Amino acid sequence: MAGKNKSISSQAKAVAERIHCLRDYLDLLSEHGQFIKWPEAVMPEPDIRKIAVASGRDSMGAPAIMFDNIRGYPGRRMVFGVHGSFSNIALLLGYPKGTSIKELFYELIGRWGSDKPLIDRIKAEDAPVNQNRIESDINLYDVIPLYRVNESDGGFYIGKANIVSRDPLDPENFDKQNVGIYRIQVHGPDQFSLLSVPSHDMAHMIRAAEAEDLPLKIAVMIGNHPAMAMFAATPINYDESEYGYASQMMGSPIQLTTSGNGLDIQAGAEIVIEAELINNKRTLEGPFGEFPGSYSGVRHVPLFKITAISHRDNPIFENIYIGRGWTEHDTLIGLNTCAPVYSQLKESFPEVVAVNALYQHGLTGIISVKNRFAGFAKSVALRALSTPHGLMYLKNLIMVDEFVDPFDLNEVMWALSTRTRASDIHVIPNMPLVLIDPAAEVPGKGHRLIIDATSFMAPDPVGADSKLVMPPSGAEIDELARMVQELQRRAEKS
Amino acid sequence: MSCPRCQAEEKHCRLEHEGREAGEIIWKVFYCQRCAFTWRDSEPTESIDYEKRDEWFQVDPDQPDQYPHNIPPAKLHKNK
Repeated sequence: MAGKNKSISSQAKAVAERIHCLRDYLDLLSEHGQFIKWPEAVMPEPDIRKIAVASGRDSMGAPAIMFDNIRGYPGRRMVFGVHGSFSNIALLLGYPKGTSIKELFYELIGRWGSDKPLIDRIKAEDAPVNQNRIESDINLYDVIPLYRVNESDGGFYIGKANIVSRDPLDPENFDKQNVGIYRIQVHGPDQFSLLSVPSHDMAHMIRAAEAEDLPLKIAVMIGNHPAMAMFAATPINYDESEYGYASQMMGSPIQLTTSGNGLDIQAGAEIVIEAELINNKRTLEGPFGEFPGSYSGVRHVPLFKITAISHRDNPIFENIYIGRGWTEHDTLIGLNTCAPVYSQLKESFPEVVAVNALYQHGLTGIISVKNRFAGFAKSVALRALSTPHGLMYLKNLIMVDEFVDPFDLNEVMWALSTRTRASDIHVIPNMPLVLIDPAAEVPGKGHRLIIDATSFMAPDPVGADSKLVMPPSGAEIDELARMVQELQRRAEKS
Repeated sequence: MSCPRCQAEEKHCRLEHEGREAGEIIWKVFYCQRCAFTWRDSEPTESIDYEKRDEWFQVDPDQPDQYPHNIPPAKLHKNK
């Protein structure tokens, strides 16, 4: 992927060097008031769900929340919202909380395409995840406080695990080791199903194992390095390692060790479940409240048998609330959805300034671009539709001028209100579309909508009163905005 | 007791786990071996009472073909 190979700031480096696992990140969040422990006992349902929905209202500032008093699960603890706000993401990237989404977007873009993978190997006996090991009488409920995320889910889900697997046809190849986030439904004390989109790496491995009747061993890592949680969901090529990618993005090494079943796992993970595919066996899975804000249906899905569980002392079950937005899922994958679309567009059109594809994994995107000539933004929109992510996701596209911050919806609404004419709205029907879009007329097909909300240019007729006010902008104004916030904070304290 | 989702009889409902505090049972988790539904007996009725659950979420394990395969097993491929 194209990148500018920008060096990481010294502050970002300092943050990266102190974070090796979830606990380190929670410490950092705590220092900045971004991590709280829930003060009362909660029932697994519906309390956890209600608190998660309430905290999700604040996409800029919500803290991570830990429950350590869950009724019926004495001594067990869980955390959600670790990536639940842009302030949490800002701290991970070495920025102060409250940093604008646009600044974080540029930081992420700048980190792309740098350095080689940074991996620290830790001996299995020294890895915190191996402090405890269960190989017989396995019962997930003894280790993980499982609960129903949304009220009509088909069961109890683990929604934020990093799952590592190796190509069963090429098991020695580190680069063909896949780490991804796939939803897991528990089907008993030692069994679970795993849902992979048929085109994803995991599905490729399942098909290969079953076709050749080979074992497919996997490790499910729960409570992970915060960069792994963020970047394991980023689409990269089949022969690129997610571990390498996450370490590059952080600018510091990821600590790996070997699991009991021979896979590379994070040494500081809270819990690692080792499991094996039960070849050709399927179970009913779902429904599950997914990120478009509706339930996916019930399907037959592959089933895995747990062979061992390793966990740290007093392990933390990290999970995610996902449902109708805004949820942690949107913050977790939002910037990573924007960045590849931007970098692919930028290769063809240097006039592209920023891409906001935060909404429902990019079902709606807002692109700011400097018009080279009248109608140019519409051509850029068509190019966006043919990027790998755009092909299936970018359904609604709003094009705005280069001076409009696409992450600031007040500015976007200004553009829609004052720049859009009927002839600027284009609908392309019967296009390919991601299966899970609930608005699709048939699953897999749908419309594309382009709204060109950029300014008028000759030979277009230029409207009356068309001379724009150009208020001061740029780094100086960003700095002044920060100063206002800081003065406000001080005023609050005094 | 029967499955809140498919109304399978009690013999199909497997006790998975008992949540205890100081020896006292706080809740029980069950698993329907017919439709693969998991529930906790302490949950709100909208989730675990067949009468109060939204009909849309019912599952009929006697009609397995209603539910697609996301990755068909290799054996199915070979048979086709």
